[in-house]
Amino acid sequence: MASDKKTIGITKANATALSNLVIAGRFGSELDAAKFAMAYAVKKGTPPGNIEGAETKWNVGSVDPDGSMRSLLESFYPTGEEPYRLAEHLMNEGIKSLAELLGANGDLYDTLFTSAQTR
Amino acid sequence: MLQIRALHIQDFGPFKGCQTVNLSPEDGVTVIYGENMRGKTSLLNAVRFAFFGKVIGRGTKAMPLHKIGNWEQAAAGKYGFQVQLEFTDDCHEYKLTRSCHPREGVISPRHDEDYLVDYFLEKDSNVLGPQQAEAEIKRILPEQISRFFLFDGELLQEYEDLLSSETDMGRRISEAIERILGVPVLTSARTSLLRLKEKSEHREATAAQGDQKTREFGNQLADLHAQRHVLNEDLERLERELEEARSQKASLEEAMKKKERLAALLDKRDTLDRLMKEIEIRRAAKQIELQQAMAGAWCSLLADPIRNATKSLRESELALQTELLRADVLSSLHVNSGSECPACLQQVSPDAKQRIELSIHAASDKDRAEKDRELAAIRRKLTALDQYTGASRTDVLRILWDAVEEAAVDFAAKKGERDEIAKQLESVDEESLRKTKTDFESTIRLIDVLEKGVVRTRDLLEQNKSDAENIQRRLDKLSGANLGAERRRRELLSDLHRLFNEAVGAYREQLRKRVEADATRHFKALTTEPEYAGLRINDSYGLTIVHQDGSDIPVRSAGAEHVVALCLMGALQNNAPLRGPIVIDSPFGRLDRGHTRNIIRTLPNMAKQVILLVYEDELPPDLAREELKSKLRGEWKLDRRSARHTELVPRKD
Repeated sequence: MASDKKTIGITKANATALSNLVIAGRFGSELDAAKFAMAYAVKKGTPPGNIEGAETKWNVGSVDPDGSMRSLLESFYPTGEEPYRLAEHLMNEGIKSLAELLGANGDLYDTLFTSAQTR
Repeated sequence: MLQIRALHIQDFGPFKGCQTVNLSPEDGVTVIYGENMRGKTSLLNAVRFAFFGKVIGRGTKAMPLHKIGNWEQAAAGKYGFQVQLEFTDDCHEYKLTRSCHPREGVISPRHDEDYLVDYFLEKDSNVLGPQQAEAEIKRILPEQISRFFLFDGELLQEYEDLLSSETDMGRRISEAIERILGVPVLTSARTSLLRLKEKSEHREATAAQGDQKTREFGNQLADLHAQRHVLNEDLERLERELEEARSQKASLEEAMKKKERLAALLDKRDTLDRLMKEIEIRRAAKQIELQQAMAGAWCSLLADPIRNATKSLRESELALQTELLRADVLSSLHVNSGSECPACLQQVSPDAKQRIELSIHAASDKDRAEKDRELAAIRRKLTALDQYTGASRTDVLRILWDAVEEAAVDFAAKKGERDEIAKQLESVDEESLRKTKTDFESTIRLIDVLEKGVVRTRDLLEQNKSDAENIQRRLDKLSGANLGAERRRRELLSDLHRLFNEAVGAYREQLRKRVEADATRHFKALTTEPEYAGLRINDSYGLTIVHQDGSDIPVRSAGAEHVVALCLMGALQNNAPLRGPIVIDSPFGRLDRGHTRNIIRTLPNMAKQVILLVYEDELPPDLAREELKSKLRGEWKLDRRSARHTELVPRKD
């Protein structure tokens, strides 16, 4: 746990996609969009991993001020020992997937409301 | 009385080349048939052009003369046109020729300024001088009353304005009616007498100033007269300006009417601009709300993983809790050896005691601490999962999202509509449109100010008159050197002025009664409604239909309006000192067959010469022949040769 990341970054390739997500107007900040992307990746069943080449964007204190997100990720990925590294990986994977979805005429509306209908 | 004998037109509107309509010298009706766009209105305008040098479009606005010449001839490089009217009046024969041709040196005229309009009038084959010609035309058919002789049936609707004394159109028609009925002869005489009376008052005041006894009153009167002179000048100026402003208002109204559609488009575009701004503000506000709500939207996506993880962690928590509880119970039994089992309250057998010992020795303190940490970690995770369950409300998110989308769709629809209108307005001079509207509004304000000024000046004049009368009365009790003669002059002119003043009132009253009686006579012959008993006239010569029970018919149709207007026309012809032919363009367009039949039958009684410009559906030739019989003096038709060429030919079928 001691080697877990203190900062979270986004790869250059995903930075534009993240920016586009915000420009589309639904998210108030890149962090909100990145968290959404992380959740999308979890929901899709993305396996744990480690992203290479991420450029620092936020401190973990900004991303998860009360540590609850870490606990959440530990619940979903019990074997993982570095939840923030995992969060970084999931955010980047999620951004990539969302960019692909939107590029193929997909819609955030369906992603959000169709998948969440059961709630 | 004016009677038209022939109309010769050359290259006027669709009438290419030289063409002639000959009219019978006998009293009766001539019908000229022509379908739409063949040139009926042009023919009416040709008569108007001959008399007044003007051509009027639909409405009352003059049309540019440049557009009147025959297009085919213009395409061939021949510009200009000419109208010659042969007519008789008071046993004299006249030939009035008016032409419009390009000015010298202008090869391809483009504007009215490129043309020269001139005319000459022959009376009994002698060409009259310009001033004499102008005076003759004004005497034979003054332009101000031409509306009762040359008119467009569609404009008969305007006569409804006579029922309301407040409209400019009503006021103008009312004035024209008084003019045709000869009232201005009396009112002008009354005005002249008033001026003479005032002059005589002034002379008397001057005479009074020359005598010691009457000087004081003479001075006061002279001051009041000087004041009155200024007030009269002011009043004249105000009335003149008011007339100009009213006429300006009428032409602006006309201009606005013509550009009504464009003005409406402009208004709509401005409204859409305003609405788009409002929608954009609403959308932006909703978008901010949505963005705030979207901060927690990621939790919504995790609903299923959270549920699954919670279930699994609850199970682990339960297993660990059970394991730790068991260990606690065993430890308690070991410490209190010999006591009963806390669960079944039985004595613990030696065999069981041995197993407890073994089990306690197998579980180390380290294991126990590890298990406690594990349980704490599970509970921390469960707390986090609980925290994120329901952290985001998708129903609220959806409402906000839909609101943003709805605003965006609304905005796009409005923008589409706005762009479409903007395209239509591309070539429109918006500035000029707005200026017309602004000018109209300022003219209304100016009229209001002038009207108040007129009322105020009249009040001051009344006050001046009353003051002068008071002094005059006191002066009358005194005598002076030359006062007697001036006084007699003043009294004579005052009596004459009073006489004419009363005569104007009495004449107007008589005229109204005569017009009402004649209009009623025509109306009874024209109307197809047996319960209508006649027409009632108001002070402005407006006519109201009266039911046989004596009540007024408050609302009438466009057709009824035409019938009533025609009755007024007929009554005016009967009572006017000046009479002439009636040339009507499309008079039956709004009338049913019954009314058309009645009007055709009555027309020969309304005027000695009537020229009807009609299309066949409006007045079938058989109907005209059947009803007019021997009063039908001629039938002509407008024969199409091309879209820009019509020939006037006698109808022979």
